[in-house]
Formats: sequence, structure tokens, C-alpha cells
Amino acid sequence: MPDRQERLVRCFAVVFPTLTEEEILTATAGSVGIWDSLSTVTLAALIQEEFACEIDPEVLANLDSFASFRDYLLASDSTVR
Amino acid sequence: MKLVDALKLIQSPAGEGSRNYTAFLACGFTPLHLQTFLAAHLRLRFPEIRVEIRAGLFGDLAGNLERLTPSEVDGVAVVVEWSDLDPRLGIRTLGGWRAADLADITGTAQAAAQRLQSSIEKAAREVTVSVSLPTLPLPPAFTSRPIERALPEAQLYRIVAQFAESLAGMSSIRLLNPQHLAMLSAPAERYDIKSDLMTGFPYTLSHASALAESLSGLIEPRPPMKALITDLDDTLWSGIVGEDGVEGISWDLDRHSQMHGVYQQFLASLAASGTLIGVASKNDGGTVARAFEARKLLLSKDDVFPFEVHWSAKSQSVARILSNWNIGAEAAVFIDDSPAEIAEVQAAHPELTCRLFPKHDPAAIWALLRDLRDLFGKSSLSLEDSLRLSSIRNAGKWRANSGMQESHSDDFLRTAEARILFEYGPGTGDRRAFELVNKTNQFNLNGRRYSESDWRHFFSEASSFLLSATYEDKYGGLGKISAMLGTRYVRSVQVHSWVMSCRAFSRRIEYQCLRYLFDETGVDEITFDFTATARNGPMQDFLKVFTDSLQTPVTLTKDTFCAQAPKLFHQIEVGVHA
Repeated sequence: MPDRQERLVRCFAVVFPTLTEEEILTATAGSVGIWDSLSTVTLAALIQEEFACEIDPEVLANLDSFASFRDYLLASDSTVR
Repeated sequence: MKLVDALKLIQSPAGEGSRNYTAFLACGFTPLHLQTFLAAHLRLRFPEIRVEIRAGLFGDLAGNLERLTPSEVDGVAVVVEWSDLDPRLGIRTLGGWRAADLADITGTAQAAAQRLQSSIEKAAREVTVSVSLPTLPLPPAFTSRPIERALPEAQLYRIVAQFAESLAGMSSIRLLNPQHLAMLSAPAERYDIKSDLMTGFPYTLSHASALAESLSGLIEPRPPMKALITDLDDTLWSGIVGEDGVEGISWDLDRHSQMHGVYQQFLASLAASGTLIGVASKNDGGTVARAFEARKLLLSKDDVFPFEVHWSAKSQSVARILSNWNIGAEAAVFIDDSPAEIAEVQAAHPELTCRLFPKHDPAAIWALLRDLRDLFGKSSLSLEDSLRLSSIRNAGKWRANSGMQESHSDDFLRTAEARILFEYGPGTGDRRAFELVNKTNQFNLNGRRYSESDWRHFFSEASSFLLSATYEDKYGGLGKISAMLGTRYVRSVQVHSWVMSCRAFSRRIEYQCLRYLFDETGVDEITFDFTATARNGPMQDFLKVFTDSLQTPVTLTKDTFCAQAPKLFHQIEVGVHA
């Protein structure tokens, strides 16, 4: 199974198909022009589907970068597949 | 379908020459993933189209429909949830669930349903509308326990049932069957309350995908299959008639063979709705004839044409049956209980849809019947559906009486007492003409097919017309057998599509169609958007009567037509499209 970061990159690539892998790794809502609230909701749905986890709605507003999603998944390690 | 797959699918480029398809998704909630899944499922069904899904404003389903300009879209999907009938039936509005509130809710739900019905009907005059009625559970708003249905709850279900009944009776409206949806999406696994609270999108991803898949099947359904060829022993009945005898075969509860009776009943239903039923059986012809005479089958011998009963290979029987019907293998289904026979037939007819009859497995037979209903199902039945079998039999009588000649003598045609009913004008609602254009291959001007939205858009131009022909002679009626789509200009007519059923060949109906078109429109010239296809040889032969060159467009003047056309003996009647 590909590692977690690789799977997360794939989720980002589906929502932001024009970004390279390097750009995805440093992507933030501020740096990616097309990143809006709809993108965040779609990303959350994709990540929940991919990692069979539930993202706390309270936290979602703070997930505004690739790094923040990665850190959230790391912090939820016991429930993420 | 997973969301990731749906997103990838809609991002993949459409093929070269692909056409655009615009659907309007009308819902009161945030369309979010339902919009994505609907685009993906439409793309999956029609890889050659570029899909665009438009949506309206949050929380205003009725307003979204009322603001819609139907002519700007190819199809409409309406998704109604309880909160569209009254916002208090959702959780994003806190309007109260007291007993007095509940009485008021049923009143507003009734009014909301009527408003929605009116706007759906209006849109359906111009475009096909697919409708899904509430799929989510009602909230725990009622005074009774969840196990018990309270009066206000029953009243809400009655409102929805009446709404459904009104919509189901209208043409151009397709209502999603909740039983079908329940097989794809379990009711208890549909509602995502967190998503509803957070984003206003109330569905789980799995339910959104299932609903979108179902809606996509309603928006642009594939044409139904035309014909079914069935085996007899251990398929139409239980037992081997050649060994067990005519009295030894069965389809009843006592001999544990009831499902064969259910299958007979199903085939009789298909026959009555215009599906051609043929028999291919390795058997003694006399024994089978006695079985149909002596035993009361639910499928009578009059429902079946033709019977191919002998000991030759089934692939040969299938070839003869298809030839008799004059249809391609891709429009027919073959059913047999023997995997070996299925394999032999499938090898000879790769385009034929073959299904194994699972003779000892009632659940599998039940699943087969559902599968067959999916292949043969029609939204509505036409007069031609009831005439189809007799029409094919009459074509057989014609061939027998005319000595199987390709071109008949004037004497024979003069005594045929032929009558043609022409209908000329806008043909938006002519389902039979729509079907003819989309399934005829041989006498077909160019092989062009029309989606329902293409058809409606074509007739939105005032100069567009449909000329259809319905034929009858002393050997019987053939029904509506020709459809021509054209544009009328001042001095000429351009024919975009023209088809005629192969059952109507050799009667000079095609000449009479052109004569009528010249007379009706008063033009001196007709141009045809002709394209040669692998299968339209009969059309090419017909046009060559008038011209040596089949370069597109083919032009025919009235003078040339009058000089080349043979004598015509039909009695002409004129009507208008329903």
C-alpha cells in the first residue's frame, strides 16, 4: 500500500489537477488561487473516503494547507487506515 | 462509484467530435457531491459527451425550477427532499414540532407539492424531466414512537404518493422508482447529518452516487431491446417434452416448477407490449406443436413468431429468426438453460445478448426477470407496440402472395388496396417516429441518431417538420413505418433524416413519401443529407434511381422525380401529429 503522504498527494491531485507534486506538498489556501471552501469540503470528503476516517467538522475550517491535512491525519493515527 | 473516481472521470477529456450535454440539477440543498456524481455517471453512460451540470440556489427548489429556461438545457433532474415540502422537516430550520406545527406542516407540504408539480409540468413541455421524491427519513418530529406511523406522517406520505401518481402519468416526466433506489442504497445509510449541518449537503457519498446513477439512467435511457428468443425444455417449461411427453412438462407449484410459469407470464407480458418473441428449440416440431395445443401455457402460440423447432444448430435457428424479423442481433436477447448452447450461439452472434436460464434457482430466475425488464422496459406503450407482431406476420403474407419478388408488378400493387396516412408538421411528441429514427438501419438516409434533447431542439425551429407515414393494405396494417425530418425553405426542402421500416419495402411507399412532400410543400427541389453507412444499402439503391452520383448532399428536382418514379397506387389520407 502506498504510504500515507503519497495517498494524500493523490487526493490533492484530484481536486487540484493542475498542481505538480512539489506544488501540492507546499500548497496552502493562500497560495493556490482556486482553493475555496468547496475545495476544502471536497478534499475532506475524498480524504475521509481514502483513509476511512471522519474529519471533525470543528477542525475543518483550520485545514487550509497540505501540511495541516497531513498533520491532522498523523494526529488521528489510531483511527486512520 | 467512489468520489475520487467520479472526479477523475469528469476531468478526463471527452473523445474527438464529442457533443456537449447540459443538465440542470434542481434541488433545495447544496448540490455538492451529487452534482459531481451525476456528471460522472452520465459520462460513464455516454463516454462521447462533454457533460455540464448546472444548479440553482440553495434552499429554493421551486424557485430554481420556475427560473429555469428549459430550452437552454438537454435534461432536467429534480431531487425533492422532505425539507423542500416544508423546511421544518429538515434540521437546518428550527420552526417547531409541536402538534399544531405538525398540522401546519402537512398543509404547507401539500401546497409546496402542488407548486413543484406545476413547475415540473411546465419544464416537461420542453425537456425531459427526471424526478426523485424524498429519499431521506422523516425527522423524529411526530408524537408516536418511530415503530408506529402517526397520522401527520401518514398524511405526508399520502401527499408524496399523490404527487408521484400525478407525475407518473405525464409524458416527458420520468419518476425514479424508490424500490430500485433501495436496492442500490440502503435507507438507513443515506443521511449524513454532519455533512447536512456543516455544508447543507445531506447525503452520504454512497447514497449520492446511487441516486446519481439512477437519475442518469432516467435522463437518457438506452433504447429498449426489440426481441427475445427462448428455448423450451427446462426453460419455458420444466422437463424435456420429447422424453417426458406433453403431459409430463410442468410449470406449477405442485411439481415445484412454478418459476417456469412466472417466466411464461413474463414473456406474455413482453409480447403484449410489442416485444417480438421467437422460439429456438432442439425438438420434434410435432411434439412441440401438440404441447402448445394441448397444454394451457401462459404464453400462447399466437404470441410467438417464428418457431424454429428441429435438430439443427441453435445458431442457425437464431439467424433464421433474426432474418424473419429483419432486425440485427444487437437488438435481441437469447435465453437457454444450456451453457453449451449459449456458447455456441454467442460465438456465431457476438452482438446478441445471451442469458442463461437458471432452471433450479428461483432467486436467480427472479433476478433474470428483473434484468430482462431492465433490457426491455419502456416508459409508455404506443399503438405500434401492439401492432408489431401482426405487422411482421402481415409482411410475411405479402411476401407469400407476391411470390417473394423484390419489385412487384403493377397488377399486384394495384390490387393490394394500399392506404397511406401522412402526418406532416412539428413532431416533438411523436414517440413512434423518434423510435423509428433511432433504430432503423437499412432504409436510413445517414444513420444519424437523436437523443431526446436533440429531437426537441430540432423541432424548436419553426421551419422544421416531421413527415410520417402509416401503412395498411388488404393483408393487414404495418403501423407507422416511415419518418422523415426536414427543414422547409421557400423553394426547397432539406431532408436531415429519413428512415423506413424494412417491413414496408417493395410497396413503393418511399416514392409516395416524396411525391407527397413535393405536393405538400410546393417546392421544386429536395436535398438529402445523405451519408453512406455499412448498412444503408437499400437507401443507396433507392437514391440511385434518381441520380448516378451519391455525393452529399443529394439533390432531387421535382421534374426528375416525376420522370423516374414508378406508378403509384396508394390511397392517401392526411392527418396531424398527435
